[in-house]
Amino acid sequence: MTGNILTLAASTFLETVRDRIFYLVAVFGFIMLASTAILSPLTVGAQAKIMADVGLASMVVFGLLVVVFVGSSMVRKELDKGTIVTILSKPVGRREYLIGKFLGLNLTLVSMLAVMGLVFLLMLFLAPGSFSLRFLGAFYLTFLELTLINAVVVLFSTSVSPVLAAVFTLGVFAVGHLSQSIRDFGQLQSSVFQRQMSELVYYLTPNLEVFNLRGAVVHGAAVSGQHLFMATVYCVAWTVLRLVIAGSIFSRKELRG
Amino acid sequence: MIIQAPVKNRAIDRETVGTRHVERTGTVADTGSFSRPYPSAAEPAVIQVGDLRKSFRSGFLKRRIRGIEGVSFSVAKGSVFALLGHNGAGKTTTINCILDLVHPDGGDVKIMGMDYRDPASRARVGYLPERPYFFDHLTGRELLQFYARLLNISKEKRAARIDEVLGMVGMTSFAGRRLNKFSKGMLQRIGLAQAILGDPDLLILDEPMSGLDPIGRREVRELLLDLKRAGKTIILSSHIVPDVEIIADTVGILKDGCMAVVRDLNEMNPGFSYTGDLALSGARPDWLPSDHTVMVDGKVRVNVGSVGKLRNLLNDCHRESIPLVSLETHRSCLEELFMEINRDSAVKTEVAR
Repeated sequence: MTGNILTLAASTFLETVRDRIFYLVAVFGFIMLASTAILSPLTVGAQAKIMADVGLASMVVFGLLVVVFVGSSMVRKELDKGTIVTILSKPVGRREYLIGKFLGLNLTLVSMLAVMGLVFLLMLFLAPGSFSLRFLGAFYLTFLELTLINAVVVLFSTSVSPVLAAVFTLGVFAVGHLSQSIRDFGQLQSSVFQRQMSELVYYLTPNLEVFNLRGAVVHGAAVSGQHLFMATVYCVAWTVLRLVIAGSIFSRKELRG
Repeated sequence: MIIQAPVKNRAIDRETVGTRHVERTGTVADTGSFSRPYPSAAEPAVIQVGDLRKSFRSGFLKRRIRGIEGVSFSVAKGSVFALLGHNGAGKTTTINCILDLVHPDGGDVKIMGMDYRDPASRARVGYLPERPYFFDHLTGRELLQFYARLLNISKEKRAARIDEVLGMVGMTSFAGRRLNKFSKGMLQRIGLAQAILGDPDLLILDEPMSGLDPIGRREVRELLLDLKRAGKTIILSSHIVPDVEIIADTVGILKDGCMAVVRDLNEMNPGFSYTGDLALSGARPDWLPSDHTVMVDGKVRVNVGSVGKLRNLLNDCHRESIPLVSLETHRSCLEELFMEINRDSAVKTEVAR
């Protein structure tokens, strides 16, 4: 079982690599260089902070683009083209297949974040006095956030079209960053219905602000080990739940050979 | 009586008289009909399909459309079972149900004694879909490496086995080429290669000859016969009767989703049937077949269903000095049976036009 999952993950990773997904990393590097060159004259004394801010935000944006746009069509493409039927005619379970695809995309994500992280640290290293290993905590939280989003996109991709899967996932990403605010806002309302709705939104969407300590890290704060641990547990719980639901939907799906 | 094909190659007993009779309604009833769905205990079935049913929902109102209904058959070890039927008859749906790609409404499938829903039941199964399409970012060899890993072929044996199957399907020289540069025929061959890669006991091939040129068709046919000789059990779907006649031991003809007939080709008259016109000068001899026709010019038309019967007719004519003025060769019995079963469909199509 594990062997099949790893084989499928490796194949998915190879597919994304051959689709030239890593060109995005080059774009990231260009943005980092441009931000240094363009913003430096405008940000006297805060050049490193701006660079770190732009860098970390770019990592999230590019990671999100890859996860959403590759993930939303990943399964559907195989369903439409029919490549899936020869895979599932082998002793491969449908849940194994789905987990393999999820892990493959996550492997792509890790590789991208690793390369972008190295470029980021290199740029900081070249700017005197701004290099710090505390950014590694921010990298890890970004990875957890995008892993969770990966599970969300896999869930949507098993049930709706790629376009809808991408739109819904981007919606979850947006609401996920606002869910705490939505809940707090709801509690201030006099209407019971509004309060209940805000609670519902809060519990149905992941609270992605758990993973967003980028601003604090840029301003010199370090991410505590306890926070990293709790964020990991939170990410794993949401991811497993999403994959279980996705597996259940996908098991009932009718495929045509 | 007819459902299970023997392991031995089909013996051409041209004297055998078929058991089929044609009813007045034009439908074909099998006198040894599907009364025994599974083979005897002495010869275990590699696959048993019992009362398989599948319908699909279609259109805005999601009306139910019958895919297959009550399809049953079993295939003994080492024999070749052909699912024959016109387009839309339910061949691919039957195969999809067997492989758990679509979920049947009812019925049961056992593959080597295992439930078809268990992925482990497919460990000894090779499958070629009707329109094979694979990851086009991989080369032919990389694709087979991918499938070899899914089949748990050990790393030591993997390369040798891949070389072997590439040779078997004639794709050795194209193994390094990306699949997005493959022609339809090449995809069919690489599809066949992945199907036989795991040295499966059961091969399920959906239209294995489609997309191939005449040379390719012949090569694939030879390959299938080699696999048959190697003791592999094969289920193949097709609507090309001559291919089925050459390869299969047993044939199941599907019509509108139902198994119209399951026939052992050993018990049918393979090859062709004949019509001879005799110029009789005197009384009609008693050896004339009862279904002979007297023509307006006085000649007598006789139908014979096998070479053996034709030989007897010629001997009788020679003995009694009756001239055989013409002899016409007709299509094979299987094709005739297939056409008879599908006559209604053909009429419907004609009316629809």
